[in-house]
Amino acid sequence: MRKRSWLVALAVAILASALTATAGYGSKANPASKSAKKIEVLSLWGGSEKDAFLKVTAAFTKKTGIDVEYTTARDFVPVIRTRLAAGNPPDVAIVPRPGVLSDLAKQGAVKDLGKLGLTSSYLKARYGPAWIQLGSTGGKTYGVAAKANSKSVIWYRPDQFKKYGLKPAKTWPQLLAITRKLKSKGQTPWAAGAKDSWTLTDWFENVYVRTAGPDKYNKLFTGKLSFSDSTVKTAVKDMLMILNDKYLAGGVKGSLGTGFVDGIGRVFGSNAKAQLYMEGGFVAGIATQQVNTKLKPGKTINSFPWPTINPKFGSPLVGGGDLAAAFKDSSEVREFLKYISSPEAGNIWVSTGAIVSPNKQVKSGAYPNLLVRAEAKQVAGAKVFRFDGSDLMPGTLADDWGATLQDTLQKPGNVSKLLSDFQKKAAKEFG
Amino acid sequence: MSAQAPIIQVPQPKRRFGRSGEGSLKERLQGIAFAAPALVVLGLFVIYPAYYTIRLAFYNSDFLFNFTDFVGLDNFKDLLTNSPDFLDLSHFPPDGALINNLRWILIYIALCLLLGLGLAVLTIRVRYESLVKSFVFVPMAISATAVGVIWLLVYSPDPDIGTVNAVLHGVGHSSVSWLGQTSTVNYAIILAYVWASTGFAMVVLSAALKGIPTEIVEAARVDGAGEWNIFRRIMLPMLSLPISVVTVWLFINVIKVFDIIYVMTSGGPGTSSRVIAYTMFFDTFNGKPGRGAAVAVLMLILMIPVMILNVKRFRSERVVT
Repeated sequence: MRKRSWLVALAVAILASALTATAGYGSKANPASKSAKKIEVLSLWGGSEKDAFLKVTAAFTKKTGIDVEYTTARDFVPVIRTRLAAGNPPDVAIVPRPGVLSDLAKQGAVKDLGKLGLTSSYLKARYGPAWIQLGSTGGKTYGVAAKANSKSVIWYRPDQFKKYGLKPAKTWPQLLAITRKLKSKGQTPWAAGAKDSWTLTDWFENVYVRTAGPDKYNKLFTGKLSFSDSTVKTAVKDMLMILNDKYLAGGVKGSLGTGFVDGIGRVFGSNAKAQLYMEGGFVAGIATQQVNTKLKPGKTINSFPWPTINPKFGSPLVGGGDLAAAFKDSSEVREFLKYISSPEAGNIWVSTGAIVSPNKQVKSGAYPNLLVRAEAKQVAGAKVFRFDGSDLMPGTLADDWGATLQDTLQKPGNVSKLLSDFQKKAAKEFG
Repeated sequence: MSAQAPIIQVPQPKRRFGRSGEGSLKERLQGIAFAAPALVVLGLFVIYPAYYTIRLAFYNSDFLFNFTDFVGLDNFKDLLTNSPDFLDLSHFPPDGALINNLRWILIYIALCLLLGLGLAVLTIRVRYESLVKSFVFVPMAISATAVGVIWLLVYSPDPDIGTVNAVLHGVGHSSVSWLGQTSTVNYAIILAYVWASTGFAMVVLSAALKGIPTEIVEAARVDGAGEWNIFRRIMLPMLSLPISVVTVWLFINVIKVFDIIYVMTSGGPGTSSRVIAYTMFFDTFNGKPGRGAAVAVLMLILMIPVMILNVKRFRSERVVT
């Protein structure tokens, strides 16, 4: 009996000490982290894109003495939502989708940048109105554009084009002619990384803005035009003139089994099989630094802007941008946001060849090679600019839309039904 | 009726631990004190979250998981009748995440058990048993994420990368995009997961097999039983409990399967390889936590009967493998 009560006492003592230990940890943790001058930045970049960003943060640390802990979240939205719900958001996140940022702003999860020292005159001196608008919701700015990219780019191999006597296409019929010619020479004209469904939404957006025009594009991606509209069907069918079994490396099924980076490898890898690849300017950095370091810009890799389809609409630019947003307010966060929007940071960043800066004060001489210089020129000179439509869509719609396009590749005869099914989902989300 | 005294005396189960229920107050308090830490942990990390999730399933929550906007059973109704991605009964064979899980249950469990049992029975007869068993067991030590990455490479549609397609090319067949077509994607992932879990079934069954007294087997041999009869009439019945334990483990594994699908296909192409757990993840973290919680509740409902069965078997036999 005596032994037992001794054991009870021991158990209670252990429990009590465990409780006080955790309590003590909680009270001590805060001041410790403050004195360390450190912030956490979260974004989805990995590989060469991450290396480029780390060069920028290293320069920031050197200048200010504030350490930056960089966290990669490949699947950005679930990570940020879990951490918000847990009350543990990062200090700063670089949000890849403006639609997500505006959701977050509406829920009060991100800070108004105007109150963190990034006033509208500060922003106007550095960014064009479209970029400021992209990070704004309800008259307040929540995100500052950290990087920009053109998604209206087609990548090709100049050496192969020379061999077959081809020239970059300026119009859609020319692009189709190139495709047919390559096929007739026994080549595989196209590769696609359709396993990552966002590559297909980019395809669609480029075709749509050129066939239905920028106004309908706006309406479609803000829920004011139905996805079962005939213009959508036409654009999907146009897109499938290239994305089909005849022209894709591995056919439709092979493409749906190939991710974005592997798709680049099919055109620019050391054992390449296909000739053309459609994706944004960021392909340059990934192809030359990650997929195949032997590539020579201008000789074995180059790009041309998306050709026009309907001459009436010209060649509008579809682009993406990543927005830096603050989840916490501290002097370190303010300094970081100031830095990331400075030409100083922009120059370091663009010199890596990984990105194009939306910052007006970044000089074009800072770009290291002709591939990114061409992209920067395209972004700066675009007469009509449209942001990546799927990135603007709320909730699950962006992923659902990608999945729907994957289905259209598999069942080209079923396009109408697939689009009307998607419209049902879209109607619910847009409300 | 209920007020009347029961006519038949229900036999009370015998207590296995402690002396009897009539211990002193002090003894009872001691019992509680000992159980308390575990109860606190269970309550905090199992019971409270389960309660929270079940309650959430009746709301259209915002993404901070607050209880906003009560909708009753709407989430469940919507899932079961109006979400072709989850359950599509409009054509035959039916489709959707729930049906995919059914495929998983049938094929994954059957293959793991058959292969595990077969390997256990066969390896016991050879000298290099431990070598074979280590080879089959190694994948168990690999996380599902890594298994996914390995099999992504194995299935790659590019024959220069993918082993399977390299073999197909070798025999003059063209590449098959195992993960890029609706007709094969589910089976391809299931096979990868079978590769990763057969080792467990084999090790448990092999251990149980060794627990069968050799006298019984030898006696049967003396009585003239053939190997097949020994397997069917002696080994199988004596293995029935470990088999059911392994089956339950595999079943739970299937209901919660997520990571390997997330890594290999993210539920695609289209939505063709989504399963229940993937749908839960997708809905929860894309702004529909209420719907996600409803999916989680359905998962729990699916698992409960199997767990009850399992606990009952343990109670009745009290045989530990």
